[in-house]
Amino acid sequence: MTERDLAIAVGKYGLEVGTPGIKSVGPLAFGPEGILFVGDNVGAAIFAIDIGDRDLANQQREINVENLATPLAAYLGCSRDDILIRDMAVHPVSQNVYLSVMRGRGQAALPVLIKVGPDGTISDVPLEDVPFSQSLIEDAAAEDDPRLVSRDQLRTVTVTDMCYVDGLLLVAGTSNEEFSSTLRRIPFPFRGRTLTNSLEIFHVSHGRYETAAPIRTFVPYANNTSILASYTCTPVVQFSLRDLKSGTHLMGKTVAELGAHNRPLDIVSYVTGGEEFLLISNANHPLTKIACNDIDQQGPLTEPDRSLDERRDGPLSPTVGPPRQDLPHPGVRRLANLNGSHVLMLHEEEAGEIHLRSYDVATL
Amino acid sequence: MTKGHRLELDWSEHRGRGCLRVRGWTVTGFQQLEALAAAELSRRLVVLPNESLNELLGSGADFRAVQPIAGRFEFDRGSVYFLPRFPFLDGRCYSLLVDPAIGGQGAGRPEVWTIQRPASDGVPATDVVAIYPSADQLPVNQLKLYIHFSSPMSEGWVARGIQVRRADNAEPLKGVFLTMEPELWDPERRRLTLLLDPGRIKRGLAPNQEAGYPLIEGVPVIVTVATDFRDAAGRSLRTGAVRRYEIGQPVRLRVNPSDWRCSVPNAGSMDPLTISFDRPLDHALLQHSLGVNDAAGLPLAGRGCAGPGELSWCFQPESPWEEGQHQVVVDCRLEDLAGNSLVRVFDRDLRRAEDAPSEALRFAIDFTCPPPQLRQKING
Repeated sequence: MTERDLAIAVGKYGLEVGTPGIKSVGPLAFGPEGILFVGDNVGAAIFAIDIGDRDLANQQREINVENLATPLAAYLGCSRDDILIRDMAVHPVSQNVYLSVMRGRGQAALPVLIKVGPDGTISDVPLEDVPFSQSLIEDAAAEDDPRLVSRDQLRTVTVTDMCYVDGLLLVAGTSNEEFSSTLRRIPFPFRGRTLTNSLEIFHVSHGRYETAAPIRTFVPYANNTSILASYTCTPVVQFSLRDLKSGTHLMGKTVAELGAHNRPLDIVSYVTGGEEFLLISNANHPLTKIACNDIDQQGPLTEPDRSLDERRDGPLSPTVGPPRQDLPHPGVRRLANLNGSHVLMLHEEEAGEIHLRSYDVATL
Repeated sequence: MTKGHRLELDWSEHRGRGCLRVRGWTVTGFQQLEALAAAELSRRLVVLPNESLNELLGSGADFRAVQPIAGRFEFDRGSVYFLPRFPFLDGRCYSLLVDPAIGGQGAGRPEVWTIQRPASDGVPATDVVAIYPSADQLPVNQLKLYIHFSSPMSEGWVARGIQVRRADNAEPLKGVFLTMEPELWDPERRRLTLLLDPGRIKRGLAPNQEAGYPLIEGVPVIVTVATDFRDAAGRSLRTGAVRRYEIGQPVRLRVNPSDWRCSVPNAGSMDPLTISFDRPLDHALLQHSLGVNDAAGLPLAGRGCAGPGELSWCFQPESPWEEGQHQVVVDCRLEDLAGNSLVRVFDRDLRRAEDAPSEALRFAIDFTCPPPQLRQKING
């Protein structure tokens, strides 16, 4: 990093050079000027790190690395079973791929940020003497509260996904105690007050019930005026961010249901032929593609889905909502938009081997 | 180069860091290695985990092109030290591959030297301390279980280590818990939160329609924590744990403090304040959702704890109660066993207007400590 770069990072974004006390690495998101946000669910913090990636813009626009698990395990000096890939993010300029990886288990587990270059070269991001800042995410009691019971630190917020939009880091979290869904909007630089909203969703089926539920993964939508979030079981819900005041209750508009026995893993949007599409990777279902135009034309799914009553012999996945297309790409765990022209997918085989493959958006 | 020489590998320290030490080089070989630039050196000497070595040997690829363990070599008085970027893992085998061209004219396959890290102490020492709820009966729409361990634990063992069976025929109940990634642990990694699949609890959703509730009303279950759960040191548990629950009717009502009863201590005493609930509440949330404020509205110093079956809560003050008005302050996020809080029914029927959620954050129960000998009971 040049002195000028360092001065920018320190002055403009309030970063300080030091060693971030990262206890675990989880969700990743890139912010302004290549600053990487790292969710630390053990340390209950989010770190903003200038990772010093000043590589030139990658003109190749495609990254394909087959059999990444083997060299990654070798690099980390362990076996494949010792590696847990938590998230993937692509640097907006260099298009280097960053993976948050836990290496080893239990007390021997080390948080590592892995960088994979376009040619498959593996390296790790130094986490000592780097410009960084941090924001705590726990709901801890105030230090000066004399009630011994209130100092209990059991409650934590597990960050499930993050996204940076227009000076705000959007953070979806799950509590390990109360069953709730919270969307935090943390101003970056980390100087301002975190804005928090609880989220409620409306069930599609039978149009009769509603509940809270934790967001698994989300993506900014409609020129960043809203987010599209996917849940565990497995509605896709739109939340408007317009005129959103902190502390209020945010009711989402359910725009699709992806069916039962499923966990959404990642969600990404891309544009091709002037039309925007969503891709959602799932734990049990195939990769799902939905046209955003269809979502926009779809009113909120609040009407009873009688298909569940009428098709007793058929599949129970709801048939309401916008048309969906199942794509044939197998074992997709993570998704990223590669500068608009390609979608990068992290594929995982049952045997544990992983591949990074880029797909031209026109072919999806 | 090592023909007639035997390289000696051992675990050592260099510049205060754990490393692999390699001795037994010929003078020529050592000088040759020392003279190499770092990039070239990493192609001539390659340290690998044995799993990677086996894949290399199986594939027949050139070892000079293989991804080595991240780290660097240093030289000191005839010894080569490999300092890994990440510490070697206990109990694992590692190999050193030496280019046959080093110190001689050899070519072809590398020489392979292998060494094993000592295994860590594997004597089990961790126990299950508690399973919550501690009540004997759960509603069929039970939302959470908590498992407390005596030591920090490893992630990734929930699916193998925890099982729910029918008590009547020992058949395992499948798909009871929601797979969480990452798992929900407290910061010390001693308490695990297990969510029963909310998709099966929420009426109207496809999982509920297809598979019903994770539990079955009227069918008792046995929850077991197997000893092959692993603690943070990689050791299995010393003892497993078993708990039996009866399964009752669903609960879909907001928690309402007006249904609680307060047993108020006399002023001047150190007796605890006791609040009895109308139903069991969530053990974890009880640890910090209730507190007591004094007449000035300031938090009173003391310790609160959940009572048996999570049916009550006691507050033990640090100093004697004073006369005058106090308040029990309740965080509205406090939930019952089915995830109903003070402000929200977990699985709400939109036709029931009385269940509409509220925006309240706190609820207060006023009480007054009577003078000595005039112990009173009031409703909250």
